[in-house]
Amino acid sequence: MRAATQLTAAGRAVAVRIGINQVRFTALHAVGLVTLLSGILSFLVISQATRELGRIGATDLIGTLIVVAIVRELGPLITALVVAGRSGTAIAAELATNQVLGEVRALEGMGIDPKQYLVLPRFAGSLISMFALLVVFDLVAVLAGYGAASLNGMSGARYFDIVRASLTYKDVWLTVFKALAFGFIVGVVPSYFGLAVRRAPTEIPIAASRAVVSAIVGIFLCSALFVALG
Amino acid sequence: MTTPHAPRPLVFEHVPLGRDASQSFTLEIPAHHTVAVLGDEDSGLGALGSYALGLDRPPAGRVLTFDTDVAALPDRERLAFRRRVGYLPAGEGLLQNLSLRDNIALPLRFGSDASPREIDGRVNVMLAAVRLAAGGHLRPAQANEEERRRAALARAIAFDPSLLVLEQPFDGLTARVASELLELARGGESAEGARRTIFITGQEIPPLLLRRVERVYRLTRAGALEPETV
Repeated sequence: MRAATQLTAAGRAVAVRIGINQVRFTALHAVGLVTLLSGILSFLVISQATRELGRIGATDLIGTLIVVAIVRELGPLITALVVAGRSGTAIAAELATNQVLGEVRALEGMGIDPKQYLVLPRFAGSLISMFALLVVFDLVAVLAGYGAASLNGMSGARYFDIVRASLTYKDVWLTVFKALAFGFIVGVVPSYFGLAVRRAPTEIPIAASRAVVSAIVGIFLCSALFVALG
Repeated sequence: MTTPHAPRPLVFEHVPLGRDASQSFTLEIPAHHTVAVLGDEDSGLGALGSYALGLDRPPAGRVLTFDTDVAALPDRERLAFRRRVGYLPAGEGLLQNLSLRDNIALPLRFGSDASPREIDGRVNVMLAAVRLAAGGHLRPAQANEEERRRAALARAIAFDPSLLVLEQPFDGLTARVASELLELARGGESAEGARRTIFITGQEIPPLLLRRVERVYRLTRAGALEPETV
């Protein structure tokens, strides 16, 4: 954060441009994948739940399923895994390549802080992308759940009533905090592993692999922490 | 009234060099002089440039740039200090995802408060000076070695520094181009000599240039520093 405040106006413009590119790659290019995963997951879960819960007359519980299981827990988790898998690898490999080609050293030699030029825009891009993709995931999940419920005989009005009744402010805030926390992990962990590479090109795939594994472990641990604290 | 003591541009004092760091390197680069230290790759002279900029700290002895131990400065001050020194690292260190023009503009964007228009103007002047006006749009991978070296030199002198550190600046260039780049690096002549102080490290420099370099030393395999006979 301190790095951001110390940027010159022209430097800020460069950082913003890199950040926008990062959002385009991390969020925009991943919308299709997130939509697909969210849609299928929600459709499968709600289809099964509507059928099974209908037998015992507990269809109201699909609201809890959508909100707690999908929107609050699986949504952030799956979105974070997608972002870590796609963009975490890319960030780590890109920064490791910068390092191996001597670009990081050249930046330092010119008096440019690599954290300002390389890390900060990717970090900010990851935070924004994670949040945007999570919104997409949750919207698609709710809509796919509606499709599944309709196919199994539930009216749209009833479905949305159940979902609205199950959704609390706490769920919304928890989802927002998770998006920020997972975005932080996906922005920082791969940057760290990418810049930790020294001079050998053979270190690049190792750094990318370690970055993704560490980010995934971090995301799961963080998710568990949210459950424990929530 | 006494004249204030002018800081010495670059001084190496008892800096260990070589694989076993058994030899001590001591040299002062006088102001307005062009000094070259040549030697084999394993002589350790490749580290001198990074010591001068405080990118690395020598294991013993000290390196003073404008009478300052750059490596000992706090992070922010160290980065700011480096903008007073032009640096052309071995392998150029150009950022591969930027055009040559943007590579030249980068230190100005991050290290000056100039407006985008002023930076563009300055970059146009630099491009014309290094004869790259037509090739500024090329990425480093699309440019040839001579164009990359011209861009790297333009970037090194973007802040019009009074001290330039050039690592292997003439490798792979013809004597004519090397001579042209050296003249650009020197920044013209003043009553005291070249306008800039230049410290060059490398394995060889073209014989044509030896007359324009005030002092040429060769680091022998035994670690001794011997004046090169022209």
